[in-house]
Amino acid sequence: MEILDNGEFSFSHDNLQRDFDLLRQALDASITGIIITDHQQPDNPIIYCNSAFEKLSGYTRKEIIGHNCRFLQREDRNQKERLILREAIQSGKDCVVEIRNYRKSGELFWNELYMSPIIDENGKVTHFIGVQNDVTRRKKAELELLHHQQVMEQKIEERTRVIRESEEYLASIYQTVRESLIVLDPNFGVLSVNEHFLKTFKVSLGETEGKKLYELGNGQWDIPPLKQLLEDVLPTNNPVENFEVEHDFPHIGKKLMLLNAHRIELEGKYKDRILIAIEDITERREIERRKDDFLSIASHELKTPLTTVKGYVQMMSRFMPENSSDKFKGVVEKTGVYIDRLNNLISELLDVSRIQTGNIELHKEQFDFDKMVHETVEGMQAANKDHQIIIKGKATNSFVGDESHLIQVLNNLLSNAIKYAPESREVLIYLSTVSNYLKVSVIDHGMGINIEDQKRIFERFYRVGDIQQHYPGMGIGLYICDQIIKNHEGTLWVESEKGRGSTFSFTLPLNERAGNE
Amino acid sequence: MSNKKILVCDDDEGILDMVSFILEDSGYDVIPERNSMNVYNLIVKERPDLLLLDLWMPVLSGDQVLKVLKSNPETSGLPVIVVSASTEGAKIAHDAGASDFLAKPFDIEQLVNRVQHMLAS
Repeated sequence: MEILDNGEFSFSHDNLQRDFDLLRQALDASITGIIITDHQQPDNPIIYCNSAFEKLSGYTRKEIIGHNCRFLQREDRNQKERLILREAIQSGKDCVVEIRNYRKSGELFWNELYMSPIIDENGKVTHFIGVQNDVTRRKKAELELLHHQQVMEQKIEERTRVIRESEEYLASIYQTVRESLIVLDPNFGVLSVNEHFLKTFKVSLGETEGKKLYELGNGQWDIPPLKQLLEDVLPTNNPVENFEVEHDFPHIGKKLMLLNAHRIELEGKYKDRILIAIEDITERREIERRKDDFLSIASHELKTPLTTVKGYVQMMSRFMPENSSDKFKGVVEKTGVYIDRLNNLISELLDVSRIQTGNIELHKEQFDFDKMVHETVEGMQAANKDHQIIIKGKATNSFVGDESHLIQVLNNLLSNAIKYAPESREVLIYLSTVSNYLKVSVIDHGMGINIEDQKRIFERFYRVGDIQQHYPGMGIGLYICDQIIKNHEGTLWVESEKGRGSTFSFTLPLNERAGNE
Repeated sequence: MSNKKILVCDDDEGILDMVSFILEDSGYDVIPERNSMNVYNLIVKERPDLLLLDLWMPVLSGDQVLKVLKSNPETSGLPVIVVSASTEGAKIAHDAGASDFLAKPFDIEQLVNRVQHMLAS
């Protein structure tokens, strides 16, 4: 009795048949398809297949035995896996491939094929064993995954391209803007500057990027107010807008710069970066100043002959013969009225120009407010004999403000009161103090103002519709008054009823009143 | 009693004529002068009671004239009313030490009142 010993199985001749049957049954019970091919016969015919292989391939045993395995590939013969198999067969090695196979029904399945040779005692390859698993589902999942990956990669590529494009787009805007832009890290190191910055400050990129702001160009940016702004104001999350810095820069001289600064609050990479936009307004301010100068000169030159004309017209009234006709008296009187109007227009021209450019300068000084009111009324009274201007009450004899501007407000309110109350004979000025404010009310009994118009009469160039045709003017008087009162931290308002007259009032804070009167 | 004497200095002949006309009509003696350079000498020579002074004049401006007058003991006591169409006139006049300021254009009544007031004090 011979004992076969292959290491794993050991059985005797007595039991050989039974054991062989058991083994075959075990192979048939496997869900893995197994075939054996005979390498010693031409074209490697299949000499054994288990039932799992029949199930896997859809062919019956009789259709399988004697064939070469390649029938499973049908016409799909150009798979590179076939090369691997052929080489393994030729060299007698084992291999694993995943190969597209087709069932008898023609349905594709992915076959994970493990092929290994059986070698006899002389080292000669006698058979090959093929172990086959249907991995279609896994393969499908893998392929889907691969597809998803490709789609994802494509998307990422697309996104990256879009981001890069938008970055380039933003960068080109950043470089084209005619304003100097500078980006700082939280420690005031310069991260980037735009073209305009380099041009304006006549510096190179190398001298700028990576340097500390305060060290740029021999400390030309070490400007105390700017430092305070960046270190004290910005960290409180208040954006800085329209901050004026006047500074003598080494290469470019004395410049007036308008600054906006903003700290980025976004979480992440850009957090706490500081953006500064710098506009050089030196020239603009100079042009504004010249325009104001021009208007100053123009108004002065226009007023000079007007002074003479006004004087002579008033002399005409004074020397009016007693027996002059009312017609003639009227002509002279009207001439006077229109001279005043011309004078107001000339004054307003300059004022509007200054208000528009924000160049109204207040010359605040202490003066006797009540006296100012009385003198202004006296002047107005001299030119308007038809109306009587009555002053009641008292405000203060010591106020700190721009007297000439406040005279202008009073003149404007009084001339409006007279102009828009032609039928009335009386204008009342009421002076008082309320809490820590002085209050002035100019009360007329004229035509009054609609509720809708009341809101708008303080707007520039606004004129009430039906007024426009009958009363000349540019519609800037009240606008200027409002600005002047605002500049003094006060308020100007109107209370009026159509047909009943109007009361224009303003308040001014007395806080600045000189302490020891 | 002789009339009060007023020196009027303005580079504009129209205004000079008109102001002289008004003041003479109100009973004053008027010395009109177009050239601000002559003001000091005229004051010393004519001893006027009041000076009416324009601001924007060629060569020597009104405020410069005022500073000269104020720095000189012989002329520092003379009352001066600055009469100007300049928007900053009131401030300039005040800073230069003028006694009073009158904006152009003015009412003749206002002019006469101010002059009277100044000469009375």
